[in-house]
Amino acid sequence: MSRNVLKIEHMTMQFGGVVAVHDLSMEINEGEIVALIGPNGAGKTTAFNCVTSVYEPTNGRVSFMGKPIAQNSPNKKMRKIYAGTMPDAFTDKTVRMSPDQVTKLGIARTFQNIRLFGGMTVLENVMTAMHLRRKSNMFTATLHLNMKEEKAMRQKAMDLLETVGLKELQDEMATSLPYGKQRLLEIARALATEPKLLLLDEPAAGMNPQETDELSAFIKRIKDQFNLTVFVIEHHMNLIMEISDRIYVVDFGKLIAEGTPAEIQENPAVIAAYLGGEDE
Amino acid sequence: MKTKKKFNPAMLWAALVIVLVYVAVFITEQLLPASSMLFTVLKKGATYALVAVSMNLLNGFTGLFSLGQAGFMLIGAYTYAIFTIPVADRMNVYQYYNGGLVQFAMPVVPALIMAGLAAALFAFLIGLPVLRLKSDYLAIATLGFAEIIRAIFQWNKLGALTNGSNILREFPTFNDFNIRNAEGEVTLYLSTLVPFLIAGVCIALIVMLINSTFGRSLRAIKDDEIAAEAMGINLFHHKQMSFCISSFFAGIGGAMLAMYQSTIQAKAFTSAMTYEILLIVVIGGIGSVTGSCISSFLFVACSEWWLRFLDQKQMIGNFEVPLLRNGFRLVVFSIIIMIVVLFFRQGIMGTKELPDLFKRKKKSQQEVKA
Amino acid sequence: MFNTVFPYLLTGISVGGQYALIAIGYTMVYGILRLINFAHGDVFMVAGIVMVYLNASGLPLWLSVLLTLLITVVIGFAIERVAYKPLRTAPRMSIMISAIGVSYTLQNLVLYITGGLNQFYPKVSFISDSVTIFGASTKMVTLVTPILTVILVVALVQLINHTKIGMAMRAVSKDFETSQLMGIKINSVISTTFIIGSFLAAVGSMLYFTNYNTVIQTSGAMPGLKAFVAAVFGGIGSIPGAVVGAFIIGICENIIKGLDIILFKAGITKQNLGLATFSDAFTFALLIVILIVKPTGLFGEKTTDKV
Repeated sequence: MSRNVLKIEHMTMQFGGVVAVHDLSMEINEGEIVALIGPNGAGKTTAFNCVTSVYEPTNGRVSFMGKPIAQNSPNKKMRKIYAGTMPDAFTDKTVRMSPDQVTKLGIARTFQNIRLFGGMTVLENVMTAMHLRRKSNMFTATLHLNMKEEKAMRQKAMDLLETVGLKELQDEMATSLPYGKQRLLEIARALATEPKLLLLDEPAAGMNPQETDELSAFIKRIKDQFNLTVFVIEHHMNLIMEISDRIYVVDFGKLIAEGTPAEIQENPAVIAAYLGGEDE
Repeated sequence: MKTKKKFNPAMLWAALVIVLVYVAVFITEQLLPASSMLFTVLKKGATYALVAVSMNLLNGFTGLFSLGQAGFMLIGAYTYAIFTIPVADRMNVYQYYNGGLVQFAMPVVPALIMAGLAAALFAFLIGLPVLRLKSDYLAIATLGFAEIIRAIFQWNKLGALTNGSNILREFPTFNDFNIRNAEGEVTLYLSTLVPFLIAGVCIALIVMLINSTFGRSLRAIKDDEIAAEAMGINLFHHKQMSFCISSFFAGIGGAMLAMYQSTIQAKAFTSAMTYEILLIVVIGGIGSVTGSCISSFLFVACSEWWLRFLDQKQMIGNFEVPLLRNGFRLVVFSIIIMIVVLFFRQGIMGTKELPDLFKRKKKSQQEVKA
Repeated sequence: MFNTVFPYLLTGISVGGQYALIAIGYTMVYGILRLINFAHGDVFMVAGIVMVYLNASGLPLWLSVLLTLLITVVIGFAIERVAYKPLRTAPRMSIMISAIGVSYTLQNLVLYITGGLNQFYPKVSFISDSVTIFGASTKMVTLVTPILTVILVVALVQLINHTKIGMAMRAVSKDFETSQLMGIKINSVISTTFIIGSFLAAVGSMLYFTNYNTVIQTSGAMPGLKAFVAAVFGGIGSIPGAVVGAFIIGICENIIKGLDIILFKAGITKQNLGLATFSDAFTFALLIVILIVKPTGLFGEKTTDKV
């Protein structure tokens, strides 16, 4: 059996009285492509934000390669309005990391609403994401004593851009790229942090059909090339069914189904959730 | 940084322009009388250029809206003055405090570095709590800290060190850099070139920092904090460093201001001084070092020299030009500033730098971001 | 002990009331535009100068007062239209810089008009009169201020909670874009905010300068900053918060001014510590403490950034 990369146990994220993620448990094993799907507002991105420590979950535990990266239980004020389950399961300790620490451990992500560095070129965007693995400090960097390292970074960034097919556009300003290419650049930038687990937040949003078709092959290719485990949120069902090993479905923050693409397609709860979603 | 490493004629032209400026400063200083307004403008302009660039490092390149610059300048100015007043003059300066606590004097350069370090140390301590705050809260908190520092330096219980609310004087000024012969006549004028050199070295260091790996992280933070963090950049650490470095150079700028003025008093380092520097940065273009430098000299020249005529009665033939009297210069000046702020938000340079001016316009590289 | 502390407390309450009237202008503008209106302190100062000049022109006092209120309101309105409205879609830093520019302009304009000399504030009959309470001699304004402040604040809260424009203001401060979509005339709401803020600043300036006697171009800077601190302290966007914060700051500041004498008379210290130097600095220390401990202030609402 392959190794467990990401494990989420009873994670609940509550903003005041609003429960965005409700008692979510899931596991992702090494080398898998796992998808999280659900109607709009089901709490998918919030789940991502909890995994990457942008938010601190109200309750539950997130472990990466067997090590807890977030753990919390509802405390005083929250306790009173807590609406989730198992409030006492994770009281032993609180683990809170900052997003950069999580990235350093090997989790990289892209954003649903693209967040490229607008004031930089395509190449600089990728190079910036390599800083966390660099050895030079501020003083050597200022005096430009790290030219060798800088050169290596530049080379690696170029290689990555070649992988995603943006090499010719390296000197363009990142925000001047078309939407689909910006998504690819986000992926290249995430890869530059040398992740083990890659989180993709709606990578196909805003892409045209042809780009979407290419995307599924692309995701599989980078998964093999960089030895990745991929966790993806997506609305585009064809893409999901094509690339995923397993799928988790959430609705109103709650997990309603999990299984292989074939199982999910047959699942009555999922069909109901999606049809219900379209009624709104 | 933006193009591949190869011979770049634009860089060469830029370097040439800078060298020419220095040569011109040196030559004019030997030729024109020392009392010329030009030198006042150049000295103060060089001082302000350094402070403005240090502020730009925070506001323009890291995206931290800090308004504490006057406080850090104050620390720098005082540190410099306290360590350089000749021992023989201390009794005279610290007349209410029995000659003061410090009873030695340092040479100028170590004292300048001390000035920077003192400011950076304060910045480090202040940064611990305030850098976690968001944009405008950060602005007001740093402004508050500058006011607190101002009060502390005026406190008479610290008078043995700071001379309380009394002025500090007798420390070496820019004029002391002139080389004199035995009769006391100046043989070589350096009083303008030296501030240019000090500011030049400091600004060069800041430019190198901005263009380094570290500087790229800072720009990432400015562009998008959340994305920067997600790419493994430690926000707090980088902000803290940027804050300390900016304050280090603001401290040196403060010491230069002390040298320029020849006397200093804590109560002059008000928030109005910070605002003035901020306006310089805005006029030059937030995010352009070159812009900050140019606008510093323009700002100082306008306020001290070129617009002076507006403060006096002027006659055109028999017609007395209306409105001209004391203070009109500042009104005109304010209006110019408001026009820049409202209608020319890019400032003089936008985010362009000196070498960019010599580049052939390539469609792909320029004007992409308005 | 009481006799030593009481006069400082009394002044503190009075100054606190004056800060409160300025602070409301800050807090309302921040609530709606998310802008620290750095020029607000200078509007307050300009109101003082306007009063000086109107009175010097020989107008009857009541007319001077009315005209001062009117002119200040017009100035506040004009500042928003000229300096902030064009920047509505610009980044927040630009509009804040514009506010600093306006502050600089107003100060220089007043410098030009007055020649940079202290202007003596006219005596306003009744509130300038001396009065003695509990053995402390003070001006009538000290007593009038807190009462007037409370009346104005209550009236304002009624306006915000029970009128159409008040409802529009609340909506805009909750969500700028949505309320625009809901057909709220955003510009008139913003203008109203500036008008109310300037009006209260003008009232505050009459009370404040009656107390301090002179006005100069920099007179508005420090009270302005302190009032802003009061607004942050109370929770920016919250009117009761601003008022409470202003009173706390006014009282603390004046107690510190007299702390040396108080401590000396109480036998705690033997010599003058010069603590009065810190009366201004204390305000900012308080600000920094509150920002660190509870960044949203005493009555502020918590917000979460959307990722």
